[in-house]
Amino acid sequence: MTKKLLEIQNLVVKFGGVTALNEVNLHVNEGEIAALIGPNGAGKTTVFNIVTGYYKPVSGDVLVDGNSVLGLRPYLIARMGLGRTFQNIRLFGDMTALENVATAADALNKSGLLSALFGLGRSRRDEKRSMETAQSLLEFIGLDHRAHQMAKNLPYGDQRRLEIARALALNPKVLLLDEPAAGFNPQEKVELGDLILKIRDKGYAVLLIEHDMSLVMKISDRISVLDFGQKIAEGTPSEIQKNQRVIDAYLGVAEDAS
Amino acid sequence: MDFSILVTDFWSLTIDGIVVGAIVALVSLGYTLVYGVLRLINFAHSEIFMIGTMTCYLVIQQFGFTGYEEPLPLWKFASLFLLFGLTAAMVSGVAAVILEIVAYRRLRVLGASRLSSLISAIGASFFLVEVFQKLSGAKNLDFPRMISKEPIFTFSSAYISADKILVIVGAGIVFYILNRIINHTKLGLGIRAVSQDEKTSILMGVNVNRIISYTFLLGGALAGVGSAFYMVFYETTKANVGFLIGISAFTAAVLGGIGNVRGALVGSFALGLFQQYTSAVLGYNWKDVVTFVILVFVLLVKPTGLFGESLQKARV
Amino acid sequence: MKAKAFNLRDIFGDWWESATPIQRGITRTVVIATFYALPFLNNPVIDTPETSFKSVLFYPLVLFALMAVGLNVVVGKSGILDLGYVAFFAIGAYTHAVMSARTSLNFWEILPFAMGFAMLAGLILGLPALRLRGDYLAIITLGFGEIIRIIAINTEAIGGAAGITDIPGPTPIFGFEFSVMDPRPYYWLTLTLLILVIWGVLRLSHRKPGRAWEAIREDEDVAEFMGVATLKYKLWAFIIGGAVGGLAGAIYASKIRSIQPELFTLNLSIMILACVVFGGMGNIWGVILGAVLLGYIPEKLRFLSDYRIIFFGLLMVVMMNIRPNGLMPRKKREKFQEKIS
Ligand SMILES: Nc1ncnc2c1ncn2[C@@H]1O[C@H](COP(=O)(O)OP(=O)(O)OP(=O)(O)O)[C@@H](O)[C@H]1O
Ligand SMILES: [Mg+2]
Repeated sequence: MTKKLLEIQNLVVKFGGVTALNEVNLHVNEGEIAALIGPNGAGKTTVFNIVTGYYKPVSGDVLVDGNSVLGLRPYLIARMGLGRTFQNIRLFGDMTALENVATAADALNKSGLLSALFGLGRSRRDEKRSMETAQSLLEFIGLDHRAHQMAKNLPYGDQRRLEIARALALNPKVLLLDEPAAGFNPQEKVELGDLILKIRDKGYAVLLIEHDMSLVMKISDRISVLDFGQKIAEGTPSEIQKNQRVIDAYLGVAEDAS
Repeated sequence: MDFSILVTDFWSLTIDGIVVGAIVALVSLGYTLVYGVLRLINFAHSEIFMIGTMTCYLVIQQFGFTGYEEPLPLWKFASLFLLFGLTAAMVSGVAAVILEIVAYRRLRVLGASRLSSLISAIGASFFLVEVFQKLSGAKNLDFPRMISKEPIFTFSSAYISADKILVIVGAGIVFYILNRIINHTKLGLGIRAVSQDEKTSILMGVNVNRIISYTFLLGGALAGVGSAFYMVFYETTKANVGFLIGISAFTAAVLGGIGNVRGALVGSFALGLFQQYTSAVLGYNWKDVVTFVILVFVLLVKPTGLFGESLQKARV
Repeated sequence: MKAKAFNLRDIFGDWWESATPIQRGITRTVVIATFYALPFLNNPVIDTPETSFKSVLFYPLVLFALMAVGLNVVVGKSGILDLGYVAFFAIGAYTHAVMSARTSLNFWEILPFAMGFAMLAGLILGLPALRLRGDYLAIITLGFGEIIRIIAINTEAIGGAAGITDIPGPTPIFGFEFSVMDPRPYYWLTLTLLILVIWGVLRLSHRKPGRAWEAIREDEDVAEFMGVATLKYKLWAFIIGGAVGGLAGAIYASKIRSIQPELFTLNLSIMILACVVFGGMGNIWGVILGAVLLGYIPEKLRFLSDYRIIFFGLLMVVMMNIRPNGLMPRKKREKFQEKIS
């Protein structure tokens, strides 16, 4: 049986009177790329905000590797194995690319402030580990030549990839990507797809939110579809493409938009 | 500590609490309105109030009162009050608009951090206090007694005097007018729209800069009116008069839920009453400590206040 | 390749980076020695008209610098707007004043208590308050500063409004006497402590705590999502800032020998904040420059002195509008590498 690294059970989320998620069930298996799609405002980002502990659900549960993380502070959930990126890029702009990644890598080190102040061996070893992790992740995403530039000065595409490297520095069980291809040209989208596959092959499970259907269909193992806070479908890419409810949901949006 | 005073002086404390609450409310509304449209605490708002009190003082000085005259006949007082009250409202309102342009606007357009705006506001606040400190020679400026403080009638332990009636009734009228402005005019609609959602308002064709200026004008004018009541009731001002009343007003706004107009009113009266009761028991020295403790307590227990929505978390 | 702009900071930075350890050591020694030698300087251009330059060196210059470096950890590094920093300074000053009267401990033995009580106050205030953000936190800390002062005024056991007089100075150490007449030993003492504090802060800045603070300043939510224990690091910043403030307060009390609550007003908090903002939030050298300038200018230009708060108020508004990041803003030295593919 495959292990479920992330599992969401009967999740209900409300903002004021608005129900953003209604009885949603989702999961991410070990070693797979799961995708979460749906029209604008369907509640996809809200799923990320709930599982990472930013908002509290009305009811339901969130399990990371079998343990409930409900009520834990976000930093603890992050250390338990959820690394995320953001729909609108949110890097630490005034820090270098290397420092951005190292900050997340630090989270897995035990040594604290006092041992850093007094220069204890443990803190020195941890410092070395963070730096090496950060450096090798920058190499992995092909940004090592920009290690010492400030994040806010990087080109757009590099910023998006830097966010991925930063999330990976947490050595997450599941990597949560929120529209990583937004603003990319077709060529960049292809490269991003390859990068995500490479990440999966390194052993990370991925939960991908994405509007670009060709990318989603190409790399996902399994797709869940949200509409107005409800899960309306789940299946392999080819199943989803044929699903009438999914087609209706997207067409509905297309009509509204025009 | 003597709790029996709460029973024996209950009505007297209560009436004073309502009077203080009304004055605090007029200042508190400025914090709340500005927070509503800008999500920013107008740190220098207390100085807008101070400028109001100074205006009242200056206007009255033109009439050559020394402070030892007999109280004025009612009609004469009423017309004088209207004169300095309206002048203070105007001056404070304009000062608030200028403040926004000088201290906030450029930073807002630049998209600078909130820290920058706050520091800029603190700078403006210091500047104003110090300028008036120098102008006033760092002295208390006493207001002449223009209206008799003799009780008109007594009610249990409470002496009801004309100035208290003036504050309570006057503030009531102002609140009514404010309610009309916010709920029944185009300006009010604009303020509510920007408070709800700035981006959408821009799309809907609302001129956000103009609405923001008007909001500062309105908040400043309310503080100006409050300063006129303050002068009649307390009869003195000084350059840093705004500091403590500013803390009270801010606390009241937080207590009611900052950004919420009704909340500011309820919060102000609740705070005014609470201040009177506790300082009767603990001693007047501790009044400001009590205010601060309430502030901390509310922020920690229910940061959204009585009526506020959660503004602590941004959307991610 | 990007063309190199000609500026002193980059030139020095480049040189420093390529310097050998010996060159660096010599530079450090010379700079530090110069600072220790400043009280011997006798130059009409530098001298201050009313107070002797020697005593200006101690207060305000080096004491402001010490406090500004402490506050910078809180405001500049971590982005926590603390408007009540004077409270820690007051706690340190009162600790020395009260303990030297009530116990047989001398100044040096009291110093750890002064810092300890200030840290404790930081913890007690910070634990609840640091859950809040930005503006709210600013108001809470401002209130805290005022409350400490009001409590001091109303507490007869620590002298009430009249304060405490006859506070002893430090006992002699390494052959240095601390007399009321000679400000120099106080300057050297404070300078020594300042160097130690700078050393500690720089050390933290380059490691995990420094990154955590910066991440919190940049985006607190995201820092938390990236596994940073934000509350813990904000508390640490607060506590470290508090400790430095307490230290400065104890030295101050031991020099001026009598203290009153009215010495510890909001104006002082704002003054130190102005040093930090003016110099360049988050850059320790900028902050020291800010403290030196804002301490020195009013002493040199005595006519300004009466108007200095007006001047500072104006300066803060203008500075924020022109250079939101201060005179010497924090800046990472960016390095550009060609991609080798
Ligand atoms: N903090 C919040 N307060 C109030 N409503 C919210 C909040 N966050 C999200 N919502 C609402 O919840 C719904 C779902 O939003 P969400 O951001 O999850 O959508 P999404 O599927 O990510 O859309 P998109 O594709 O545009 O990113 C929307 O109606 C949104 O307005
Ligand atoms: Mg989204």
